[in-house]
Order: sequence, then C-alpha cells, then structure tokens
Amino acid sequence: MTFTLTLSGADLLLLLPEMLLTVWLCVVLTMDFAMPRLPKDRLAYLSVAGLAGVLANLVWFDLAGIGGTLFAHMFVVDRLAVFFKIFIVGTTILVILASVDYVRRFRFFKGEYYFLVLMSALGMMFMASANDLLSVFITLEFSTFGFYVLVAYLRDDVASNEAGLKFFILGVFAAGLLAYGISLVYGETGKLVFSDIASPSATPGLVIGFLLIFAALGFKIGAVPFHSWIPDTYHGAPTPVTAFLSIAPKGAAFAILIRMFFVSLAAFKPAWVLLLVGASILSMTYGNIVAIAQRNIKRLLAYSGIAQIGNILIGLAAGTKMGGDAILFYLLTYLFANLGAFAIVIAVGNLIRSDEIEDYNGLNRRSPFLAFAMLVFLLSLAGVPPLAGFIGKLYIFLAAIDEGLYTLIAVGLINIVISMYYYLVVVKKMYINEPTDPSPLTISPPMKVVVYAGLAGTLFLGIYPQPAINWVVAATLMFSNLAGPAAAAPTLVLPIGG
Amino acid sequence: MADYTLLIILFAPFVGVVVLMFVPNRQALQVRLVAATAAGVCMLASFYMFFAYDPVRGGFQFVQRFEWSKQLGIAFYLGVDGIGAPLVLASAILLFAGIFISWHIKDRTKEFYIFLLILAAATIGVFMSLDMFFLYFFYEMSVIPMYVLLGVWGSHTKGYLDMTDPEGLKKRDSVGFILNFAANSKEYAAMKLTLFLSVGAVVALMGILLIYKFSGLHTFDILVLREQARFSGSLATIIWLLVFFGFASIAPIWPLHSWSPVGHAAAPAATSMLHAGVLMKLGHFSIIRICYEILPEATRELMPIAAVLCVLNIIYGGFVAFYAKDTKYVIGYSSSSHMGYVFLGMAALDYISLTGAVLYMFAHALATGMLFAMAGWVYDQTHSRHIPELGGLVNRMPFVAGCFLVACMASVGMPGTVNFIAEIMILVGSWGKYPIQVIVAVVGIVLTLAYLFRMMRGVFYGPMEARYSHAHDAVTIVDRLPLLLMIGCSIVFGIFPGHFYDVIRSSVDPLLARIIAVAPMVSQSGGGLMP
Repeated sequence: MTFTLTLSGADLLLLLPEMLLTVWLCVVLTMDFAMPRLPKDRLAYLSVAGLAGVLANLVWFDLAGIGGTLFAHMFVVDRLAVFFKIFIVGTTILVILASVDYVRRFRFFKGEYYFLVLMSALGMMFMASANDLLSVFITLEFSTFGFYVLVAYLRDDVASNEAGLKFFILGVFAAGLLAYGISLVYGETGKLVFSDIASPSATPGLVIGFLLIFAALGFKIGAVPFHSWIPDTYHGAPTPVTAFLSIAPKGAAFAILIRMFFVSLAAFKPAWVLLLVGASILSMTYGNIVAIAQRNIKRLLAYSGIAQIGNILIGLAAGTKMGGDAILFYLLTYLFANLGAFAIVIAVGNLIRSDEIEDYNGLNRRSPFLAFAMLVFLLSLAGVPPLAGFIGKLYIFLAAIDEGLYTLIAVGLINIVISMYYYLVVVKKMYINEPTDPSPLTISPPMKVVVYAGLAGTLFLGIYPQPAINWVVAATLMFSNLAGPAAAAPTLVLPIGG
Repeated sequence: MADYTLLIILFAPFVGVVVLMFVPNRQALQVRLVAATAAGVCMLASFYMFFAYDPVRGGFQFVQRFEWSKQLGIAFYLGVDGIGAPLVLASAILLFAGIFISWHIKDRTKEFYIFLLILAAATIGVFMSLDMFFLYFFYEMSVIPMYVLLGVWGSHTKGYLDMTDPEGLKKRDSVGFILNFAANSKEYAAMKLTLFLSVGAVVALMGILLIYKFSGLHTFDILVLREQARFSGSLATIIWLLVFFGFASIAPIWPLHSWSPVGHAAAPAATSMLHAGVLMKLGHFSIIRICYEILPEATRELMPIAAVLCVLNIIYGGFVAFYAKDTKYVIGYSSSSHMGYVFLGMAALDYISLTGAVLYMFAHALATGMLFAMAGWVYDQTHSRHIPELGGLVNRMPFVAGCFLVACMASVGMPGTVNFIAEIMILVGSWGKYPIQVIVAVVGIVLTLAYLFRMMRGVFYGPMEARYSHAHDAVTIVDRLPLLLMIGCSIVFGIFPGHFYDVIRSSVDPLLARIIAVAPMVSQSGGGLMP
C-alpha cells in the first residue's frame, strides 16, 4: 500500500481539535518548566481553558456537520467520532477540576500531571477517529501510554506502584494480542480500513484475528474475562486517575468496537452476537456479585464498572442502530453518575484520608450535600428512576428486545436488583450509621463544580432525555442501513430464544 | 384550573421538595410548614379533582399529554378514571395526615419531609399514569425513599437488642444479611423491602417490555395498547404472569408478603401509613391498569389464581396477626390479610365486587392509616410496641383511645364507615362465583374483630405500668387534625357513598364489559376453589 499525502486546508480543518489540544498541552508543559513559581492550580485552570476551546470547536463540528476522512481513510471525522470526542473532552475537563485538590498533595511532578492527563485525552480523541486497524493500534497505545504513568503516580505508595505494574504488564500483553490479531486479519484480507475488511467468508485466520482484537479491546473496557487488572489498578491509582480511567477510555474503546462490529463484521452478526451475549452476561453477573463483598469504595466502583460495561455490551450485542444509540446514551449517563461518584470519593478521601466504605459512616450527618449527591449517583448507577441510569438501562433493553435477546434482558434485569443491594449498603452507611467523628465536611469550589455538573447531568438526562436522545440518534445515522428491528408483523407465538 | 388539576396534584409535593432544599435545616418549623403547604395544596386539588370527576361521562378525565420521547414511544400521559381518582385522593389525604403525624420528628426533619414528599408524589404519579413507562417510572421511584425512611427514622422491633453483640453487627453487613431471616433490625427490614419490591418491579418490567415488543405498536401508551394490541395463547399467559406476580409482590399477595409486616413494623408512623395505605395498592392498581386493560383474555383465564391465593392471604395474615405481640406487626399482618379481600373482589370479575374492591382500597387506606397513626403515637409516648408490656393507657390518652376504637371499627367494617360498604359489595359480588372464598372471608372478618380488640384491650385497658405515667394524649390541634381528618373522611364517605359508587362504577363497567366480551365465559358451573 502506498500513501500519497496531500493535505489541503480543508483537510487540516478536520484535525483542528487535535491540533489545538497538541499545541495546548505543549503550552501547559512549557509553562510548568518556564514558570516554576506559578501555583500548579493555575495549570489546571489553564488546561481546562484549553479543553473548553477544543470542546467549543467540537460542538461547532457537530452542529455544522463537518466530516470527512484523512490519510487514506485512516482518520475519520463523522458525527460518531465527534460525539466520542465531546464525551472524552468533557470527561477530561471534569476530571481535571476534580484533581485540583488531590494534586496539591503530591510532592513531585504536580505540573506534569496535567500534561499527562491532556496527553491521554489527545490519544483517546484519536482513538475515536480511528478508522483502520493500524490507527487503532497506534492510538490505543498512545492513549494508554499516559495512563501507565498516571496510574503509578504516587511513587511512595506501594499500592499505586503495584497498580501501575499490573496495568502495564497486562496492557502490554493486550497490545501484543492486538498486534497479532491485526496481522492475522491483514494477512487474510490484505486490507486495514474497517469498511474494506467486510469480507464475505470467515476463514479461521480472520476469526482468530478478530477474536484477538476483541480480547485487546475487551481488556481496555474491562469486560469479563479480560477484567483482572481493573480492581487492583482502580484501587491503587490516584483517585482522579481512577475516575478518568473508568470513563474516558471506555468511551474511546466503544467507538472502535462499534465501528468494528457494525462496519467490518456486519455480515457475521449471528456469530458475534453469541460472543457478546456471553461477555455481557459474565461481566454483569461477575461484576455485581463480587462487588457485594467489597470493603473499599474504589474497589466497589471498580466492580460496579465491570458490571456497567456488561450492560453496555447488551447494546453492542443488539447490533442495530438503536443498539448504537443506546450505547452512546448509556455512556453519557455513566459519565455523569460514575464521575460524580468518584468526585465524592475524591472529596471524602481528601478530607478523611480513607477510601474504606466503613469510613462513610454517617456521612449524611457530616455533610448532607455530599451524602445526597452520592445517593443520587449510586442510584443512577443502579438504574433507579428518575435518574439518568434508568433511562440508559431502559434504552439498552428496548434495543435488545427488538432483537429478541430475552435471556440477556432477563439477566440484566436481575442484575439491577443485585447491584441495588451493594449500592444501598453504601447508602446505609451514609444515612443510617452514626459517624465516629461527627465534624462537618466541606468541599472546595472546583470539586463543587464537578459534583453539581454530575447532579445536573444525572437529573436532566433522567427527567428530560429527549435532547440527548436526538443527539445520539443523529450521531449513529450512518448505521441506519444496518439490519433494523425485526420488521415482521408481531407474531403471537412466543419464540423463546436469544 | 380543570386542565392542570393533575399536574398540580402531582407536582405540588415535588415543588415542596425543591423549596425544602433551600430551607435551612435548623428552621424546623419552616420546614414543617413548607411540607404541610405542599401536601395541603395537593390534598385540596385532589378533593377538587375527585368531586369534579364526571361519572356520567366516565372514562379518563383531566387528561394531560406531552410527548416525552418519540424515538422510544413514550409520552408523559396523565389522566384519572374512576379507579385512579379515589386512590389519588387517598394518597393525598394520607400524605397530609402523615405530615402532621410526624410533626414531632426532630432528627433531620428536613430530609425526612423531602423523602416523604417524594414517596407520596411517586405513588400519586402511578395512580394517574396512562403510559406504562411512567407507571413503572413512578412505581420504582417510590421504592427508594422507603429505604431511607425506614432505615433512618424507623425503629427496631422488640428482640433486636438481644442480638446486637459486636459479632452480630458484623454479620448483618455481609452477604448473609439478606439470608438472615431472624433479624428484626430496621436496616434488615428496609433492605428486605427494597429488594423484594425491586425484584417484583423488574419482573413486571420484563412483562412490560414484552408487551412493547409483541404489540408491534412501538408505544407504551396504555390506551392505544388497549384498543389495538391483542395478545393470546402462551405469550399472553407469560406476560400476564410476569406482570401479575411482579406487581402482586407489592400488593402483597401470599406468599410474597413477608417483606410487608417487617417493613411496616420498622417504619416511622407516617411512612407506615403511606406504605400500608397506598403503596400496597400500587400493586392492585397496576394489575388493573395493565392486566385488565391490555390482557383481558388472559385475565379472564388466569384470575382464579388470585382467587385461590387470596384465601391464604386472609387466613394466614389473620392468624399471624392474632398471635403477634408487636402492635405494628398486628396492623401489618392485618393489612396483608385485608389485601386478600381486594384480590377476591378483583378475581370474581363481577361489577359489584370489583367496584367494592376499588372502594375497599380507599377505605382500607383510611382505616389502616388511622391504626398506624395511633400505634405510632403510642410508641412515641411509651417507646414500646410490645403488647404485653403496654396496658391501661386509656387513662393517659383518652382521645387517642377513642380514635383507636373508631379505627378498629372501621377496619372491621362496621356499618357507618366506608369499609362496611366496600366489604359488603365484595362479599355479595363474589358470592356467585366463589362461595367458599366468601365464607372464608367472613371468617376473616371475625378474626379481624378478634385480633384488633385483643390489641385494643392489651394496649389501652388493664393495669398500667408506672413508667407510662408521663405519656401524653393528643391535645394540640396539630396532633388531632390528622386523626380527625381520617376519621371524618371514613365516616362521611361511609354515610354518603353515592358519588364514590358512581365514579368507580363509571370505569368498572366498561373495563369488565371488555373482559367479558373478549372472552365469553366458557362454563357457568363455577364455584369452589378451582372453577
């Protein structure tokens, strides 16, 4: 394959958000070196300002419908990519705001922290645009690179080092699988771009190749059985990094998964539905059941995250445009609820220096606001109306029931109840138990912004989801020719299956 | 006003919640006044709605419809018919009474009222939803406030203190917490209630999703589904069973009732009132809304299941109530037993008995609300609900004792209260089809008489222990208002049930006519337990 690179001004426009962010992260890094006396908090606000500019740029792309492909279709800008970029940039803004207090506790490298977060965000933005297997590999590694450092950032802390090492070794292993899978697929088809790979016959090499790629992406999203790094890494990493890691890379990886399954593998849907159903059932059930036994709030959220990924996989298993919509919507609800919950964990962790659930005893007496916000976020994760998570779950189930995935839905519904138990145990500690130290807790302004943003998103998406639904429906318009919901007249015999 | 009545009823409590969030926690009086105002507006609008409902026109009135999501086929669709209207009224009355009953709560007053208002508003929302999505939405929304209300402001049952060793505390926090059926802490009750109701809810949701898919109409609109969707055969049976048992778990039908007395016993008085008074009726109501409206054929064929189980409800609940030692357990099991009457009235598929069942839901809400209010008062004054420990309180609290007597009379179904009319209608209406059940139900009334008066005697008569000499009667207007309100409604509607009858009948007639027309009765030889 030969590349002829001809870039016009219009082509470069498509790269504008990434270029902006690249320039900006250089600015942040330079400021850090050049002005050592500058309070590091300023760097956080500087980063947020840059990200806000990128966000504005992306919103403009979305509204103006700007799109196209670059570099022989390696890099695509369509509404799906723009959606995920907005998702990633939005998450990054909130994570940086939530980091300000936490970073103050670092002894070294406070400035580089923001640089690394921005770099990971840049990598994930490229992931959202990755349209062939090579760019998938490069962008995936690029984004993970920043995280390897971030996870092990507390270098005096054994848990953080262990987390970093575990994440690194398993991450590199997954990268190997990905490279091997890509080489197999390329060997079988001679193609790399997603839309070209759509091959009519499933040769063993192709099957193994895609399974390996799925394993690598499964590692990224933390679906069972590729989840083993999640609990320790989430536990040991600095909490803002955990929050970042639990949301943004999931979104970026789902961008790739959607493109791969809905474009390249559309013809093999009956085969991969079973794969995804299996992964989904395992993730939901394993994540929720193991979460019950957790004593540490970060580990609890890690396992709940595995279960949430299982829920999202239901939408992927549906394999329709509506399934795609549901994934996007669910990710939005997950963003606000999970980030909000982590924001509370960060805030409480900063104040009482502990992440044990035991230490949330009587939080309601110490800070009614924090306890109420945590209640809202946890219940949204559990899927209780009128919060966003309920609409997200219902959307996913509606997409799946159109495809007749009854078993999957039944398992998903049962898992709602299981998850409710362990979320309510946290609620019990906060509301019912009495605190050992009743001194009131107060949180800083940037943290308040994050919590309010989480509350606003969770309530708004739950009570009036129509604007967001319109947005996700528009973002997946390119999949509207996918096999839609079984259009046959409603049968009155019950086909048990799925 | 007419058009926005339902919105006012539904959103007055929610507005109250939002206002409460901005009232400082220390201003307890302001908090109570805001809550009382919200509940008052809600109740007055409900009374207006109930009396403005035109029984001649029938059908769904005060309808409001807003497109909510086109893609998902969901509309925010509100309206009441003769079945929803009395239940909305009952919820609003109990909410208003509950605000005053809990006037003396000092711990986290603001949050208590916030959760109480959300609970009541969600309940009211179910009773006026004409869209399955919103019916489920409000239904599930009512469960979570219950958890917090029970857990934070509830009380442990007698015997709990014997097992609060440090080791025991650890045990209840682990997985065994769910399986530990011997526990009687409020945390256990709250968790059990929430999980039971959530399981029921998701089972019903599965049924709702199946209706959504197999109707092929891409809508949750109950009225559209009623007119256009047809389900039959095994599909209808499966959906019906899912929806019925999903919602019947909150009703609570035997053997899914075990969460309910535990929950009643642990809950603070106002929550018990709402819980037993209206939350349990969500089950019957949702069954009527979904099973009766959308699956008439299956309802005709499968409702005998309820006719069998209701006997167990009545007898089992009655016997346990007779032997229970905790006042709230007695009332809780009595509620569970009385819900059997509603199921009997519903199962007979007879105009008179179904009208009676709906009326009974209203009547029971008032009667059981009064009983719980008084049990709560006695507990507040004596810190005991253990009947053998209590006694002789009539000297200390003559007013409460008098009200308690009236409440017992109402609960038994004494002529002059609305319960009497409802009970008689259920019994008369079901006699043709289920004579054995009717005989059992009459035995159940005798049981009710026995356990309520046994409790009355144990609590208010006999020798009084000296430590209760500081117990107060309800003397202030704030304390007496809720009791008088509920007694007044029970008696006034008992003496003048005409409008009630017309309102309920106007909706029961077309509903049953459809069920009977869709599936003509195969055999007239019904009778006995298994017709």
